[in-house]
Amino acid sequence: MELLCLEMDTIIRARPDPNLLYDDRVLQSLLTIEERFLPQCSYFKCVQKDIQPFMRRMVATWMLEVCEEQKCEEEVFPLAMNYLDRFLAVVPTRKCNLQLLGAVCMFLASKLKETRPLTAEKLCIYTDNSIRPQELLEWELVVLGKLKWNLAAVTPNDFIEHIMRKLPLPEDKLELIRKHVQTFIALCATDFNFAMYPPSMIATGSVAAAICGLQLNSTNHSLWGDNLTELLAKITNTEVDVLKACQEQIERVLMNNLREGRRQQQKQQQQEQGGQRSKALDDQDQSSTPTDVRDINL
Amino acid sequence: MTAQRRRARVESAIVTMAAHKRILRSLGNGPTRRSLFGPVDREQLQREYRAALRRDLEDASRRWSFDFASEKPLEGGDFHWEGVSGVRVPLLYRACQEKQQKRPCEAHQPGQSAAGKENIPKTPERCAALPHEVEKTPEKSSELKRKQTNITDFYQAKKRLVATPRKSGQ
Repeated sequence: MELLCLEMDTIIRARPDPNLLYDDRVLQSLLTIEERFLPQCSYFKCVQKDIQPFMRRMVATWMLEVCEEQKCEEEVFPLAMNYLDRFLAVVPTRKCNLQLLGAVCMFLASKLKETRPLTAEKLCIYTDNSIRPQELLEWELVVLGKLKWNLAAVTPNDFIEHIMRKLPLPEDKLELIRKHVQTFIALCATDFNFAMYPPSMIATGSVAAAICGLQLNSTNHSLWGDNLTELLAKITNTEVDVLKACQEQIERVLMNNLREGRRQQQKQQQQEQGGQRSKALDDQDQSSTPTDVRDINL
Repeated sequence: MTAQRRRARVESAIVTMAAHKRILRSLGNGPTRRSLFGPVDREQLQREYRAALRRDLEDASRRWSFDFASEKPLEGGDFHWEGVSGVRVPLLYRACQEKQQKRPCEAHQPGQSAAGKENIPKTPERCAALPHEVEKTPEKSSELKRKQTNITDFYQAKKRLVATPRKSGQ
């Protein structure tokens, strides 16, 4: 009996393949094809009438929370956002269908990337049953058609290892850096300003932001000094100025997100204190955790 | 100096972020489960779904010069179609029911689904569930659906007439 329980939770993962990760031709191919998977236009200006940038943010934040809670593989969320942006760049969509679209995109990305993908039923529950599994499956077909079945899009996550292995990083920090880079990439995916950026640039900017944020560049000063940006720019053929701007933009988005998250938290606490004192204990317990997580993102 | 201060702020932000992440994980099923933009208009959704499928089908018909609705070749396109007897087509391309009979592995699937891997049996099951699903949906969409599954049947029947690659469809 107990043995069965142990078996259930094993997730079988392939080891990193050195033939893929340590071959520069792979990186060059990724750089060559990445532009093919960008959305065709800045769709809030030219395609969409009913939906606005803040709604994309809402649905993106919800999608990220679902992926987090379901412990999806890291690339599922950025890939799902790629599908969402590509669909919205060609199909005018009404606001009330946006969450359905988000669920469909997660459904597809999860099936492409995971050994145990999210089920339609689970995703529908996360929409508070505002959509039905049947509808999810129907729209899956529509979205697939609009994406021309090109699902294996290049994401920023594809570049992480290629970039990191070319940097003189301390061995014991690699896991931490990787985590932070993935976090920054997810953050970028929630922000429409990054939707038209090539994935390699987002990846490079995220690596730069992670290394600077962890202040690894100051301790390892002798290794690269101020040349981190230049080194990074060379790896992915990005211009130094553009990369610097991208890094700063990522850091700004992070600050804004955290500030907003903190503000929401404070507002809630104030409401709790000023309002009804007679509330049940478990309610107060909830208030001490950030119940409104939409703007924290991570 | 300002750059330094900015870095320090980002660093402390990262620490906070990690803490939030941990808290988020423990929240469980609560606040993530939510409807974002209010109720969905089901009838309109169905209409839009059918319209989208019909448009896809029309595009495909133009591209392959084949009327998938009536299952007849169209004249004047880039392709010329010839019928092939079903027996000569590899098993993979034959109709769904036929495939199920000849593949013993699919018959076992429902029994295995109890093994706890909730996602894995889904795909094979859908093939079996398709006729049932078609019955449930209103007439128009069921027609579209059934015709669509037949597209693969006709891949075998085609003979490419024009050798030059076509730029449409991309």
